[in-house]
Amino acid sequence: MSASAQEINNLINQEYKQGFVTELETDTFPPGLDESVIHRLSKIKNEPEFMLEYRLKAFRHWQTMKSPEWAFVNFSPIDYQSISYYSAPKRKEDGPKSLDEIDPQVLEAYKKLGIPLDEQERLAGIAVDAVFDSVSVATTFKGKLKDAGVIFCPISEALREHPELIKEYLGSVVPHTDNYFAALNAAVFTDGSFVYIPKGVRCPMELSTYFRINAANTGQFERTLIIADEGSHVSYLEGCTAPMRDENQLHAAVVELIAMKDAVIKYSTVQNWYPGDKNGLGGIYNFVTKRADCRGDNSKVSWTQVETGSAITWKYPSCILTGDNAIGEFYSVALTNNYQQADTGTKMIHIGKNTSSTIVSKGISAGKAQNTYRGLVKVLKSAENARNYTQCDSLLVGDKCGAHTFPYIEVKQPSAQIEHEATTSKISEDQLFFCQQRGLSAEDAVSMIVNGFCKEVFKELPMEFAVEAQALLGLSLEGSVG
Amino acid sequence: MAAIIASRYAVEYPNITKELCGQTVSWLQQQRTEAVAKFAEQGFPTLHDEDWRYTNVSAIEKKLFTSALKIPTSQIDRNWLKSYQLKDAWSVVLIDGHFSSELSELGGLPEKVFVKSMANALETHPELLENYVNKAVNDNEHGFIAFNTAWFTDGLFVHVGAKQCLAKPIQVLHIVTQQDVLIATRTVIVLEQMAEAKIIETFVGMDGAYLSSTVSEVFVGQNADLTLYKTQFESEKAYHFSGSYVKQEQDARFTHHNYAFGGLLARSDIHTDLGQASECELNGLYLGIKRQHIDSHTRINHLKPHGISRELYKGVLDDRAKGVFQARVIVAEDAQKTDSQMNNRNLLLSSDAEADSKPQLEIYADDVKCGHGVTVGQLDDKSIFYLQSRCVDEETARNILTFAFANEMVDKIKIKELHDIVLEQVLSRFPQEGVNKEWL
Repeated sequence: MSASAQEINNLINQEYKQGFVTELETDTFPPGLDESVIHRLSKIKNEPEFMLEYRLKAFRHWQTMKSPEWAFVNFSPIDYQSISYYSAPKRKEDGPKSLDEIDPQVLEAYKKLGIPLDEQERLAGIAVDAVFDSVSVATTFKGKLKDAGVIFCPISEALREHPELIKEYLGSVVPHTDNYFAALNAAVFTDGSFVYIPKGVRCPMELSTYFRINAANTGQFERTLIIADEGSHVSYLEGCTAPMRDENQLHAAVVELIAMKDAVIKYSTVQNWYPGDKNGLGGIYNFVTKRADCRGDNSKVSWTQVETGSAITWKYPSCILTGDNAIGEFYSVALTNNYQQADTGTKMIHIGKNTSSTIVSKGISAGKAQNTYRGLVKVLKSAENARNYTQCDSLLVGDKCGAHTFPYIEVKQPSAQIEHEATTSKISEDQLFFCQQRGLSAEDAVSMIVNGFCKEVFKELPMEFAVEAQALLGLSLEGSVG
Repeated sequence: MAAIIASRYAVEYPNITKELCGQTVSWLQQQRTEAVAKFAEQGFPTLHDEDWRYTNVSAIEKKLFTSALKIPTSQIDRNWLKSYQLKDAWSVVLIDGHFSSELSELGGLPEKVFVKSMANALETHPELLENYVNKAVNDNEHGFIAFNTAWFTDGLFVHVGAKQCLAKPIQVLHIVTQQDVLIATRTVIVLEQMAEAKIIETFVGMDGAYLSSTVSEVFVGQNADLTLYKTQFESEKAYHFSGSYVKQEQDARFTHHNYAFGGLLARSDIHTDLGQASECELNGLYLGIKRQHIDSHTRINHLKPHGISRELYKGVLDDRAKGVFQARVIVAEDAQKTDSQMNNRNLLLSSDAEADSKPQLEIYADDVKCGHGVTVGQLDDKSIFYLQSRCVDEETARNILTFAFANEMVDKIKIKELHDIVLEQVLSRFPQEGVNKEWL
């Protein structure tokens, strides 16, 4: 075997790097879900009364709903009674006050993931909220952010300290009745991040949350709420990983963004949950509801996502463009390999005048994976001069995979300009030949072409993430060509 | 316990069975019994069916149209009919769902070609028809198919033998003269290998509300070539459903032109299955005015390698009209080297008009070239300005541009007589101030 063939072989057999398990003592609820679980959850979190009521309302509504079946994904029904709804590293009486008090095992885990929780390290310009299973274990740079007036804390803390903000905004973009998984999340969400940027403030650093599922048989239900008040600006990043396990784990998150007048929110995700093994065993079910409300005039929300993990991804980060001149953007790279399934896309609802939206979606399907873009562009009658541009490209690598494009376009306003374009193709032999002829290996050539294919999206990511995303893409594609 | 009956029509069914054709054909009776059971259970499609999410047909259920009775041919205004009937063509006239031999013109058909009414063909060739009826589509597709299988009173059977090339087109005129009636007809078109034909389906109604539903099953043999024109000028209160379900053998070519101008609620299905290296081209133009709702649903199923498909649908929507375009291209695992392109262009002329578009790609093969594009918008300001700068007033400029947008599709008609009829209809629906017929 030649050296390069050997290398390729090694790469193919390379495992999911973040697949380790951290051994810890934990507080974990026994599996099962009923109202008593919700009471306990609310009590542990020390939540105000209105929150418990909200959760119970959501839970009762959830019980009347049926699991949706319209998406282009296949999975066996989830037994919601076999999941544990709370798991957290055991903690001392009052919870950690400083980093020194955090379980060293947890710190070690984050170190291994390359996420520094001490404020000195590599990613020094980024404030991190680290969510481990059901709780937030640490939030960095809190002080510095506080000086700027920015609130950045776990949502459970916000519930106690800023109940008035939560009461006003939680569920105002994604109501608990929205869909099956949003209802479930509203009932049992355990932690997540809360961000409030006051009027006219430009957040001094990038904010980020790192989600880690560690415990077995648990689901992670996180809730993120970001409010950008008038004229403010924030860039938020999100990353996620999980250990390798043979059973599927559920991750049902809700993210709500609210942009007031002239505010700008940039939300980036690099999703790298465990995708399951080569035979499609195990992996995370990633059923997420993400929605932004551009409430104020001239507000702007930009979603950027790189989806490489999860056995099943089911998410549609959306923008409701309520304010006049509001802008919604969606940039996505979704890569599926082996038996992964992704049904992802966006919704752009144009309500205000002169609203505009841009959708750039790049789907890459390899192995036996199914990759679907599903998107809605809806222009209401009030949205004069609305503008949308949509570009969906799919790339097929291998002859056993599928790539699908299901756009929905609904226009009720004649002055709207809507353009949609989609293409599906494979990497052309000509391109490959050209690269190989110039001395690149087939593997490198494919990686290069794919990176070029995704470039439009990657350039939207903050720098550190762009590097990570490119590396991830290379990794996930390995073994599919050669 | 009796099953819940989803449709009032199913309750009425036993009263009309004796009017139906093919009473003595046992396989058909069997199919009708099954279809009625199926329809009783599911009824007409609802908004919950993904393929019908933009089209609400519940009014058909509410109206409860009754079956049309045969009327004497003498009641038909022949001059009116002539304005739709092509002179240089074989024509088959169906009045309220029943074949009229006096009005039809079938003289001089070549030997290996026969064109018959469905009722007649069921008497003379029941075994042959068994190979085709409910073979290109089945009752599970949606309620209208089961409805049609159970209710059809007559229709058309066209069989073109191998290597026959028809010199003239065949025109089928579906004429509705009565009000508050339901009409269901079934068409089977078979082209044996290397045959070539042009067939025109024209739908015309006099006035008032009625339901017209037609299912066409089309079989295009190896290396055969079929061009199908559908011109739909139903009355402005009519409900119209027509579906063409096509099976293409290897190297077969199928071209469809769909002109949907009439009806209060009109829906057409064009579904085609492509064999190896077969080609299909689907063109469509829908014009909606007043409260019209026009839904075009297409499905192109690439089952085998080397298929080529092209699709272009254009819509012009004014007043409170709603245009729906739903199209799906499916490329099966086997269908490598497929080349498919789909486009939909919509022009909205009024602030109450609506365009819904749902183009879909479902692809399981890797070595393919597939794309689709959709635009929704209004006339280009620059083009209007250009005309204004050449002394054309704004209103005329708009008319010229709107007309030009639609006319691209009309110009695809290769039969002169038909071209003129369709053009006339386009002009009658939009203000033609400034659109000088001399140019055309």
